[in-house]
Amino acid sequence: MVSRLTANLQLYGALPADEQKAVDSLVVSTRATAAGEDLVVEGDTASHCRVLLEGQAFRHKTLPDGRRQIMSFHIPGDLCDLQGLFLGMDHNVTMLSAGEIALVPHAKLAEVMETHPRIARALWSTSLVEAAVFREWMVGMGRRSAYARIAHLFCEMVVRMRAAGLAHHNRYSFPITQQHLSDALGLSAVHTNRTLQALRGEGLLSFQGGELVIMDWPGLTAAGEFDAGYLHQAGKAA
Amino acid sequence: MAQGPSAEHARLIRKLQTIAVVTAEEQDALAELPMRLRVFAASADLLREDQPSTECCLILEGLACRYKVLGAGQRQILSLHLPGDIPDLMSLHLQTMDHGLASLGRGRAAYIPHGAVRELCDRHPQLAATLWRDTLIDASIGREWLAGVGRRTAHERIAHLICEALVRSRALGLMDEGAFELPMTQAELGDATGLSTVHVNRVLQDLRREELITWRGRSILVLDWERLRLAADFDAGYLHLLRDADTVALLRPRLRTSLAD
Repeated sequence: MVSRLTANLQLYGALPADEQKAVDSLVVSTRATAAGEDLVVEGDTASHCRVLLEGQAFRHKTLPDGRRQIMSFHIPGDLCDLQGLFLGMDHNVTMLSAGEIALVPHAKLAEVMETHPRIARALWSTSLVEAAVFREWMVGMGRRSAYARIAHLFCEMVVRMRAAGLAHHNRYSFPITQQHLSDALGLSAVHTNRTLQALRGEGLLSFQGGELVIMDWPGLTAAGEFDAGYLHQAGKAA
Repeated sequence: MAQGPSAEHARLIRKLQTIAVVTAEEQDALAELPMRLRVFAASADLLREDQPSTECCLILEGLACRYKVLGAGQRQILSLHLPGDIPDLMSLHLQTMDHGLASLGRGRAAYIPHGAVRELCDRHPQLAATLWRDTLIDASIGREWLAGVGRRTAHERIAHLICEALVRSRALGLMDEGAFELPMTQAELGDATGLSTVHVNRVLQDLRREELITWRGRSILVLDWERLRLAADFDAGYLHLLRDADTVALLRPRLRTSLAD
């Protein structure tokens, strides 16, 4: 079976067997993480990157007066802090649910990238796509209605989880709470709650036992004015 | 090799030196990049969304922005780009642009073939790392803007944009006696901050009345950096600029501290 990290990197182009093996060799250790655990804290300068293997996480920043902005959600296979390879961390990454992470030493990463330029390009691509996601969210907050913003976020999570092989018959693990949604989309808790009720009321989606269930995908993508182009999943198997 | 880089190549080198050390050998390699020059008018399309590209666009003079237009025709400006920036460096690795690139004021750009940049990266891995670093800083700026539209007041957003433009202009040596060029209309400022033109106008008048900034034409003069910085809740850390002696010396103590982080 292809490892989570390899599967993620292959979204941007297939890797031959020896390079898949090289990606697998990056992981030197794994450990369990608790819900709410901080994986990365602003100001960190680490000697290794963390790859999410199980569970979900979120990237966030707190303004000096305490206002929190969530900037992205992360699923298994995602690199949490590739930025640390070149820059200090200017934000935090926290677990949404209990899970597992893999540790990849920077030195090992540099060595593999030097021998395998294609892996370096795939890693660079993941950081470029992350930037594209920030831009898309900015468009949402600057210009989309609350209704379209929430629907758009659900669409994004679904497309990414599908590509990562994390869908189970239109059911998706979904530890994101209403508070997280509000902090991600710049909405009040009341507004988020009302909008979720509307999406449910229209039969687009529902929540069952911590899972998101997509009931009307075309309806949801229309509600979110969603176009997956910004995720650049060129290498994704159809 | 004696004559050194052209003015166009020097722009790119200067920019990269604000974020990383560029060795003499790397500067020589950068100075040999082929460039196709183009003069652009204000509000010209430099790259269209969904367009597959074979070149990178280096801004030489003026100001450019990345943007996205929604179905309803509303535009969101996603970032600002100053001379020396390559806003579409991502096109080296991702096949299509997911946004457009347009000029704000008049200016000049150079187009560099992807092949030449890839070859440069292959021969100079440290330069490749510097370009990667540039795209990571670009992402960091994206996060800061995201936090702005999500959580900052109109007043803070406009002041923050001005602080960012000032610090970046200063690092690139584009300040003239405390003033810098920001060729944006109030409608464009609104597109960048998610505000209406009327709202932008009111905030700008406030900032002028409070004697934080003033402007003449497209040139902005910051009258009280420390108060502007506080009004914006601005901390330059997210720009990840190298602590170049020139830049640090020009900054006020508080910013100097935050840059030293």
